[in-house]
Amino acid sequence: MSESAPPAGIAIRVRSARGFINLRLNPRNRQALEAAERVLGQQAPLSANTFTGGEHNLYWLGPDEWLIATGAQRASELARELAEALKDFHAAVNDVSGGNVELLVSGANASMVLAKGCPLDLHPRAFAPGQCAQTGLGRAAVLLAAVDPSTYAIVVRRSFARYLRRWLENADSAGVPFRAAGKRQQAGYRSSP
Amino acid sequence: MAAAQPNRLPRGGRIDRSRPLAFSFDGKALEGFAGDTLASALLAGGVSVLGRSFKLRRPRGIVGSGAEEPNAIMQIGEGATAQPNPPATQVPLHDGLTARSTRGWPGVRFDLGAVNGALGRMLGAGFYYKTFMWPRSWWKHYEHAIRKSAGFGRVPEGPDPDRYEHMNAHCDVLVAGGGPAGLMAALVAARSGARVILADEQNEFGGSLLASGARIDAAPASDWAAAAVVELRETQDCVLLPSSTVFGYHDHNFLTIAERCGPQGRGVRERLWRVRAKQVVLAQGSLERPLVFCNNDRPGVMLASAVSTYIQRYGVLPGRRAVVFTNNDSAYQAAINLAVAGAEVAAIVDSRAGGGGELAAGAQSLGIPVLKGHVVSDVAGRRRVAGARIARWEGRSWGTVKSTTRIDCDLVAVSGGWSPAVHLHSQAGGQLAWDPSKLCFLPAKARQANVSAGAGNGKWRLGECLADGLRAGVEALSEAGLKTAAVRAPDASADAEEKMIEPLWRVPAAKDADRCPMQFIDLQNDTTVADIRLAAREGYRNVEHVKRYTALGFGTDQGKLGNINGMAVLADTLGKPIADVGTTTFRPAYTPVSFGVCAGESTGPLYDPVRTSAIHEWHEAAGAPMETVGQWHRPWYFPQDGEDIQAAVARECLAVRNSLGVMDASTLGKIDARGPDALEFLERIYTHDVARMKVGRCAYGMMLGEDGMVMDDGVMARTAERGFYLTTTTGGAAAVLEWMEKWLQTEWPELEVYLTSLTDHYSTIAVAGPNSRKLLEKLGCDTPLDRERFAFMAMKPAVLAGMRVALFRVSFSGELAFEINIDSRHALDMWRTLMEAGKEFCITPYGTETMHVLRAEKGFIIAGQDTDGSVTPVDLGMKWLLSKEKDFLGKRSLERPDCLRDDRKQWVGLLAGDGRTVLPEGTQLVGDSGEAAPMCGHVTSSYFSACLGHPIALALVAGGRRRRGETIYAALPGRKPLPAQIVPPVFYDPKGKRQHV
Amino acid sequence: MLLIECPWCGPRAETEFSYGGEAGIFRPADPHALSDAEWADYLFYRSNPRGTHRELWNHAQGCRRWFGVERDTVSYRIKRTYCLSGASGGQPDGSAGGLEAGSGKRR
Repeated sequence: MSESAPPAGIAIRVRSARGFINLRLNPRNRQALEAAERVLGQQAPLSANTFTGGEHNLYWLGPDEWLIATGAQRASELARELAEALKDFHAAVNDVSGGNVELLVSGANASMVLAKGCPLDLHPRAFAPGQCAQTGLGRAAVLLAAVDPSTYAIVVRRSFARYLRRWLENADSAGVPFRAAGKRQQAGYRSSP
Repeated sequence: MAAAQPNRLPRGGRIDRSRPLAFSFDGKALEGFAGDTLASALLAGGVSVLGRSFKLRRPRGIVGSGAEEPNAIMQIGEGATAQPNPPATQVPLHDGLTARSTRGWPGVRFDLGAVNGALGRMLGAGFYYKTFMWPRSWWKHYEHAIRKSAGFGRVPEGPDPDRYEHMNAHCDVLVAGGGPAGLMAALVAARSGARVILADEQNEFGGSLLASGARIDAAPASDWAAAAVVELRETQDCVLLPSSTVFGYHDHNFLTIAERCGPQGRGVRERLWRVRAKQVVLAQGSLERPLVFCNNDRPGVMLASAVSTYIQRYGVLPGRRAVVFTNNDSAYQAAINLAVAGAEVAAIVDSRAGGGGELAAGAQSLGIPVLKGHVVSDVAGRRRVAGARIARWEGRSWGTVKSTTRIDCDLVAVSGGWSPAVHLHSQAGGQLAWDPSKLCFLPAKARQANVSAGAGNGKWRLGECLADGLRAGVEALSEAGLKTAAVRAPDASADAEEKMIEPLWRVPAAKDADRCPMQFIDLQNDTTVADIRLAAREGYRNVEHVKRYTALGFGTDQGKLGNINGMAVLADTLGKPIADVGTTTFRPAYTPVSFGVCAGESTGPLYDPVRTSAIHEWHEAAGAPMETVGQWHRPWYFPQDGEDIQAAVARECLAVRNSLGVMDASTLGKIDARGPDALEFLERIYTHDVARMKVGRCAYGMMLGEDGMVMDDGVMARTAERGFYLTTTTGGAAAVLEWMEKWLQTEWPELEVYLTSLTDHYSTIAVAGPNSRKLLEKLGCDTPLDRERFAFMAMKPAVLAGMRVALFRVSFSGELAFEINIDSRHALDMWRTLMEAGKEFCITPYGTETMHVLRAEKGFIIAGQDTDGSVTPVDLGMKWLLSKEKDFLGKRSLERPDCLRDDRKQWVGLLAGDGRTVLPEGTQLVGDSGEAAPMCGHVTSSYFSACLGHPIALALVAGGRRRRGETIYAALPGRKPLPAQIVPPVFYDPKGKRQHV
Repeated sequence: MLLIECPWCGPRAETEFSYGGEAGIFRPADPHALSDAEWADYLFYRSNPRGTHRELWNHAQGCRRWFGVERDTVSYRIKRTYCLSGASGGQPDGSAGGLEAGSGKRR
């Protein structure tokens, strides 16, 4: 290319020192659920495609599956505590800290850059802060979470992280379709004022 | 400048005369203005012949002004960024643009008339299937010559350096087409607060309003359009896409739009929008039809609407002395525009005995002669129209005309009526209905959530077109469940009263229809009336068959001009109503789409995800070439000092056999299976007796499909009473987990088992060779590693070199070996620690190639290489793996008669008779050395074994096991069949002593 | 590209799913009691109807749940999607093996 378009201007950074635990249990088993929540010190989200914050982030992955994102130091200890608390129930606790990478993507154009490779509707009415979804981004499977109107957390399998980062950087560098500064029709991809 | 643009009007048009742009056509320097298309600039420059026709080499010029253009097919640019085949009517002019005719050979200016005539008789309907099929061996020569002379665009030279991308979008209402109806629908949707996308293939919104003299709300129509665009642009959640063609309407209201972002070389060249719309308003307007008469393909015969567009929108006068030929009122507007612009309109030839309505009166008041009840039956001139031959119209298409009068002219503006652009409606599965008074197919019942509006819905007149757009917008909003803002349709200046169109599908000529070859239906494919009649005579009745036999509607324009005329001629020939003949199927894409925009950003390094292990950077630093396994990049071998692959692999193999090797096996699939019923579940999944495994033991496990064929394999370990750790092949990981979940969730939901993928969490390092135990002991391990306390096929959690690991005593090489499973965050540390401590044993990293050789020497299979979905464990000689105690998936199938045949292909070893040829994998094996020997199998794996000093191969051979010792033959290309001996598939340490030490 | 309503995650693009064939194919309780022809019928024969087809899909890139879909093979219209229930091989049933779609709300 002889000339290139201005980039979209999003920030992409790896959230370092994160630990992850995959938790499986049937939430209808109230005792098991409560045992887990006691250890976690917070409620697990039961609504599909939402997450709860607190000491840890708890992401809904499926009707009997959650991803717990927490500090790297805390994760292995927490996994042991959970396993101990759930040992009399049908449950599975797996430390998957080595298997995941969390990226934070932020900026006014973040949703438009993600829309280049994500089939979800990212309009703030359809995907508001507090919502998360497992979906595709580029050609990788990801867990995407809306943190605030211009920030997304992306949890991706470690082996895909290099590719995904490259994909995001490329999408950012190609710019965005609507660039007329201050024009409100860009808000097709932004939150309403 | 005036000399450069002889046909440019002194004023008018939506071009910027202060910005002249230089461009070239076939090497000739020309000039146009910003706002021109390549077509309007060529016309302004007086270029009338733009190429030659597909079959008959006839000179051709511009016919239309939009996507329907069949003739002006260009090659734009040079080298890697060249763009083949866009119509000049859809190429915005930019400074420095170079265009060439794609259909030039043997040169636009050199006339091969005599040859054409002779050749023409050979190129009738079905010529592809008839003329050139004999003698058969000559076809490749014919085809080459035909293609060269047909001269479609040339493929760009070199990889495209430009950038393309995809964009996913969602909206309440997608409006396809930004003319009066589309703008109206978008306005009401936007004012109602809906999320709207409006796309139009032109670089400016407004459609027909841009070349119209009408007034809307007392302002010029183009001003109204401009105001509407400003309002939409400022509305929240409204996306405007100019220069964007909605080219595909797919299932569940998913539409694809190709956006042309600008001249190549600046940012993104094209963008593919992938839109999921709740509702779609189709407002793509209509396409004018040509009329069918002799030599109707001569340069200078143009659509009347295109003539108006060039005058009104581009300030270009396409001719000086015109004849207008029509069967309806709309062409009178072109005559008026021509006269006002200063051209002489020699006559309006109207087939209707009663002539036209109000517009006709307007034309006559300008002094334009009108010949009612007449037709143009032929035109004179070869490289440019020189005159029109006028005959009386008796209302019969299939007679002959006796006498004609000639009117000299350089332009024949034609209108055969209008066809709504129903393409997207049809792609979406919608029905069409023939309207016998408007003489066109109209969109009828829609199958998806779409509504048609405006001229595309048969509403030709401006007032009703605007009102129809509003209605469609309101309908879409209501179907989407949205409230509708109160919006009124604007007042349009009164449309002229019109008289009805009359059917005129073919104009009679001096000769009868079948001996009159130059009446063109489809200009791009040179399909004539005679071709369609010939197809009908030869028995083709179905319009889809006639299309394929005559090439009607093929090509880059997909028959936008010719299809309806062709169907009408076919209907007439068959004596059927047009409605019964119907149309051919409309498929995406509406207009051609570049490969670049289809690929988007998924090219080069982003073509497919590259998955890498946690140790990848070490492999890269060591200079290892990578092998692609699924999406993974794995080190293939680790060359030292300029070694080639053979030398490196030989060294790596000997190192493992004699001392110590280390391999990154992290890509294996890993699954945690846990729960009260985990054992029961795995008993059903695996072929072996899982219950016999004690905690801390490993087993080689195989999974079969229900058809009894090997699906995947891997070591699995019992980590707890109710917990297992399963491994799969690298390529099978995701599919195996999904398959297990399918059984659990759909067939056995009563089983309480949780499956969790640990593929990425754990990295796996294989340490193999006689010194592997010594290495681990040296590093410090909290668990004893001796043979008694850590037996072969045992598994233990351990702390190794201060790091927590799961240690497996398993071997894929046949040597004493351990596999270290470690949290991926610490894998690189562990690898480096091993490399450092292993120096005294000459530790040698090895790649996938050595791993393959080592396992082949031992006769271990690789699922997916030695198996292909048609191989049972019995075929592999692994009957020992099948439990007799229990049922498991696929077991019953092993008793099917076909699985019991003793001549099934069985897995055997193979030694090349010459002792040195490494048989290529996939080599076919034959029973004897004769030429017509039947095939009896193929080579599945083949390597040179450095350890044994000769090549080894594994193969599937019919009845192979009982043929041990026999000689069969490998069929090698360009060589005599090579004898090879069938042997057992284990070449090294057949008793398996080395791994047990 | 189809828009498929995952009973848990809602409408998602087809690219997030994988197809699992016809629903309602039951694995015989005792395969070895079946004749070869009966076994072949279970193994190979599928209904392939013109019209409504009950089939299995997996939300592979999402919640990893298998579920049932009633899809018209002519129009591709999806009439409904549903959770699977115990031992039914994909029979429509609300019980969903102890998990329900939208079991979301905390009771």
